[in-house]
Amino acid sequence: MSHKITISTRDNHQFEFYCNDKQNVQDAAEAANLYPPFGCKSGVCGACLGTCKTGNYQLDSYSDEVLSADAAKNGDVLLCCAIPESDLQITLPYDAECIQQTLSAPRDAEIISIEKIAERTFKVVLQLQDDPEVGLAFDFEPGQFVELEIPNLDLMRAYSLSNTPNWEGRLEFLIRLQPNGKFSNFLQQTAIGQHILVHAPSGGFVINKQSANPRCFIAGGTGLSPFLSILSRMAEWAENHPTHLFLGVNNEAEILCQQELTMLQQSLPHLTVEICVWKPEDNWKGFIGTPVDAFKAHLEKNGSATDVYLCGPSILVEVSTQAALEAGVNKEHIYSERFVSS
Amino acid sequence: MFCYQCEQTTRSENGDGCGSEGVGICGKDATTSDLQDLLVYAIKGIAQYAKRARELGKTDNQADSFILYGLFTTLTNVNFSTPKFVTLIQQAAEHRDRVKSLYEEAAKAQGITADSLQGPASWKPAATQSALEIQAQSAVINKDLETVGEDIVGLRAMMLYGLKGVAAYAYHAYVLGGEDQEIYAGIEKNLDFLADEPTDASALLAGNLEVGSINLKVMEVLDGANTGSFGAQEPAQARVSPIKGKAILVSGHDMKDLHDLLEQTKDMGINIYTHGEMLPAHAYPKLRAYSHLTGNYGSAWQNQHAEFAAFPGPILMTSNCLIEPTPAYRNRIFTAGPVGWPGVRHIESHDFTPVIQVAKAMPGYEEDAEEKSITVGFGRHAVLGVADKVIEAVKGGDIRHFFLVGGCDGAAPGRNYYTELAEQTPDDCVILTLGCGKYRFHEQDFGDIGGIPRLLDIGQCNDAYSAIQIASALADAFDCEVNELPLSMMISWFEQKAVAVLLALLSLGIKGIHLGPTLPAFLTPTVIDILVKEFDIKPNGIAADDLAAALKKAA
Repeated sequence: MSHKITISTRDNHQFEFYCNDKQNVQDAAEAANLYPPFGCKSGVCGACLGTCKTGNYQLDSYSDEVLSADAAKNGDVLLCCAIPESDLQITLPYDAECIQQTLSAPRDAEIISIEKIAERTFKVVLQLQDDPEVGLAFDFEPGQFVELEIPNLDLMRAYSLSNTPNWEGRLEFLIRLQPNGKFSNFLQQTAIGQHILVHAPSGGFVINKQSANPRCFIAGGTGLSPFLSILSRMAEWAENHPTHLFLGVNNEAEILCQQELTMLQQSLPHLTVEICVWKPEDNWKGFIGTPVDAFKAHLEKNGSATDVYLCGPSILVEVSTQAALEAGVNKEHIYSERFVSS
Repeated sequence: MFCYQCEQTTRSENGDGCGSEGVGICGKDATTSDLQDLLVYAIKGIAQYAKRARELGKTDNQADSFILYGLFTTLTNVNFSTPKFVTLIQQAAEHRDRVKSLYEEAAKAQGITADSLQGPASWKPAATQSALEIQAQSAVINKDLETVGEDIVGLRAMMLYGLKGVAAYAYHAYVLGGEDQEIYAGIEKNLDFLADEPTDASALLAGNLEVGSINLKVMEVLDGANTGSFGAQEPAQARVSPIKGKAILVSGHDMKDLHDLLEQTKDMGINIYTHGEMLPAHAYPKLRAYSHLTGNYGSAWQNQHAEFAAFPGPILMTSNCLIEPTPAYRNRIFTAGPVGWPGVRHIESHDFTPVIQVAKAMPGYEEDAEEKSITVGFGRHAVLGVADKVIEAVKGGDIRHFFLVGGCDGAAPGRNYYTELAEQTPDDCVILTLGCGKYRFHEQDFGDIGGIPRLLDIGQCNDAYSAIQIASALADAFDCEVNELPLSMMISWFEQKAVAVLLALLSLGIKGIHLGPTLPAFLTPTVIDILVKEFDIKPNGIAADDLAAALKKAA
């Protein structure tokens, strides 16, 4: 039996398609040439999170790290796991521009730089190869991620871009090495000049452009990556939203991109940056504690009329979300993207 | 949200106007619409004090120009960015408070008791977006519909929309250095009048005509600013087929932005194309002098989705009409001046380097297309330059009638009326045209009458001033009133600039204007009756019938 699925985006666009009762909503959308942000397609990454407003459905198995029992009870769904039992109306927490209507082929790119910028953290720069149709252009929204594929190793990992869309084919990433991680091993062994494949950008973790609220960015480690992209865009476009970045690291050796952040502050006079070190050495003069602690103090002082963006480990996202809700931040103004183990 | 300011507004048996769907036909969402209303309200507050300060000999140029810019952002298809309106509302309150101090200090210095003003003059903007949205509910145009009735709301709306159009034209002049205190005084006086929420229909009608008079002055100043900056329009060929090379497309109305881009791209090997209402650029000698002002591309605004997607370079949108960019070109369209769309890069500084970078990165046109051109540039200087010939042709019976077929274009099916009208105009009649409505027929060959082209493109919509000058000169030559000339005006409207032009024509006492493709939703049956009685305004019928009736009446 076929059910009508209506998905509504943050900017009030609606898309309709049909889904049978043996299909998940993500697959049905793609069959209708609609590609809402997705990642693993197996209920693990949370990239396809939405909220079902009306209708009945079953959820295939998924990780409760990305969809808690409470959230599921309140109607949150992963499109890749949702099997409809009736017509469904689902809202998505991002704008229509994040839903692609064609999925462009992977692009060939050359690794042109791998630079250690902090403990276990590298900045990786790729140069796209000229494409006969679009040249060097690579269109994405700041905050989105791409999957990088190493064909020979049958290896694919998703990383947020840390620079802004450009016409020169330059893509930048912040990558934290994982012990015995396959991609980490690849990075440590590879040489400049190696070619990899870059899949089409995806993800709904993008700025709500129609909100004039101040913005709070809470990043854990390389969760800074999408925020660097967003802040760079804000600087390029001279956006004047008051913005507060809380960057959390375990120790001083893990602090990353301080110089870039200082430069961004010069371009964005309404940007404040709080680097939060959890377990510092004795001579650390900055904030001691987690970014959630700093964020809570900020909310207490400045009130809850703010948009909150969270990127980092699941625990950071969960605790920060809870803190924001308790302070009175509107749930619809909390946006998050979490690291998932692969 | 409630909005019925443009021609494409929702029409239904339950009442006209966009709102119930949470988004306008134009793509404006409810929040943006509400905040635009609140900005207009805030601007009325500036005007309340600016008018009184002016009466005491004090002016504030920053506030005057902010009023123009602020109102311009609220026109149809101009700015859709909620954060922009939150900023503008706060700025409006700052301007108002400054002008309030100016007024109160002037009053004190002159020993006068300052008026204690209410409404927009004393309103305080909320600190957050959500609180502003609540405040906006009391600023919507039809807020007191139940108490004052739809006629009063409609008359207020027409006056406000006319003022928006006036402000937009005045802003185009302002960026070229064209200003006149009489204009600021007129705008502020009438905004102050609206701030008092008038309920007298006669006073509102008079106010509407006064807005029309102000627009005559504005169009004169804009004409002077354009000709002063770029020379008087001259008949010229505008290429309408592309040539090989990198390319940038400029749309909107702003000649200053085009000029700056031409200057910044000089000797770069990038070709600049005009689009929509930028077409008349090819008639200005100082713009045409740039050899890389290559040609005109595409047609009127409503076709931009397909045309912009197909253009092989970046697009610069300098004013209305912008519609939601599609993914096909969203990353290569830029806005300037009052225009904006969330997620589209805005250039405030006139430094178009980002646009140029995209042009260099994109392929541009890979080959020349077959050369094809049209003739533009029949502004008042060109037409009046051959006035003797025209008068002789009329007196000799070679020219039987003039039809002014112009105004806005749009997507409504009824706009084919104007194509049919132009095509069916007899061979002994001249068609004067202006605005983007011309794209419906301007590439057709209408021939000439004794060397005078039968189709004369006067220019942009604001070049209605040129049309009025031409009509006035002909009336002088024939020693008659404009209404007695063998001239019919078939005006197509879409947005608030057209409302301003219509009011300007009415303020001159011009009668018998055909207005279409549909009458504005804010004109109630009662108001239409008044306009028909006073000005013989005619809604569109069948093109052939309207044409025949116009010729019969003139015979």
